[in-house]
Amino acid sequence: MSTVDPALLHAFVDGELDLKSQLEMEQRLAGDPALRQRVEEIRLLRQEIREHAGYHAAPETLRTRVAALRSAAGDAPPSAAPSGVPTPTAASKAGRTIAWGRWLQWRPLAVGLGAAAVVALALQLAGPPPSRDEAIAAEVVASHVRSTLGEHLVDVASSDHHTVKPFLSSKLGFSPPVAALPLEGSALLGGRVDYLDGRPVAALVYRRDNTSSTPSSGPTAAPTARRSSARRAATAPRTGPRRG
Amino acid sequence: MSDEESWRRFEAVALPHLDAAYNLARWLTRNDHDAEDVVQESLVRAMRYLGGFRGEGARPWLLQIVRNTCWTWLKANRPAENVGLDDGDGPAHDIAAPAADEPPQVAMRRADRALIDQAIAALPAAFREVLVLRELEDLSYAEIARIAEIPIGTVMSRLARARAQLRSALAPAAARPVLRPVPKVAQNGGPP
Repeated sequence: MSTVDPALLHAFVDGELDLKSQLEMEQRLAGDPALRQRVEEIRLLRQEIREHAGYHAAPETLRTRVAALRSAAGDAPPSAAPSGVPTPTAASKAGRTIAWGRWLQWRPLAVGLGAAAVVALALQLAGPPPSRDEAIAAEVVASHVRSTLGEHLVDVASSDHHTVKPFLSSKLGFSPPVAALPLEGSALLGGRVDYLDGRPVAALVYRRDNTSSTPSSGPTAAPTARRSSARRAATAPRTGPRRG
Repeated sequence: MSDEESWRRFEAVALPHLDAAYNLARWLTRNDHDAEDVVQESLVRAMRYLGGFRGEGARPWLLQIVRNTCWTWLKANRPAENVGLDDGDGPAHDIAAPAADEPPQVAMRRADRALIDQAIAALPAAFREVLVLRELEDLSYAEIARIAEIPIGTVMSRLARARAQLRSALAPAAARPVLRPVPKVAQNGGPP
């Protein structure tokens, strides 16, 4: 059993011991289950108090009185300011004045915030969807062009979707749909991991009539909006190679 | 400094901590009305001392003024109270049984809250202030030492004793006899 000063134990729980005493206490605790039990009890009590003890926030009446202090400090001669308890009417009048002053001060900001909210809403309604899709389409095309310019068309070269799919799954953390023959006369060349719209996606490479095509696929578990944009994006490059 | 300027400084330094000031005063006076009076008086003093405020630790600075104002007020208005530091037995915990239509968890919460508040209120003021500054204001031992004008070692021992008293006051709560009507029902033999 321990002869530890309880004050030290409490200071330990509060994280208020200096490093040396802290280490000594940890050492004692390691070899003393009864002491550990006491520390745990202090922790629980502390938590209980912090969660349940009432915190008394300043009531409105006090705020009104504080506002009255201002007029006392500003209008009255300094000697009259201390210890003067304002009459209720004076206090509430001062409170009203302050409240109006506050409102007038904040009103431009409130109007500004309102306008900003309207603009943001308008942008939300009008702006992002097409521009976002366009951006993704452009990204897909750029990625496809890059892959055809260089040597790096695929990470895994196989016409067998049973080979391509597990490879991509292991790299991506989700399982992309890999169709063996998405279009008549097409052949799977392989797949690679690409980066699109801020996250890794699967890029599948097919050859059809001597052109390659790169549909990309995002995680199927992604939110609908993302999935649909990924699907829309995936159709974009198919037209690209045919033009070329 | 003009009145307007000094008010602005006061507003920026002291008023953000009005809740903390009231909370401490409320716990020390244990009364809404007295707490308001004490805080108002403290703010008047704070305005006067504002020139001496060095610009850091506004909350401890204000709380120190509130604490001193509280003690002056307690000595003047409640001289009989809290003379010794060992008279912290506290009142009996007559917590009302939960109302029938109240969900048990809400009732338990209310009972916890009432029990803990009563137990803290029953602490001697010297212990109570240290506990409130630590648990409700989350101040460090050093800050508490400064506010209460006592050595850090005294902060430590008072906090330990305050918690020990709370623990024994709350010990019946651990068993929660009021909140477990189950055995009674079983005795009556009635189905739940």
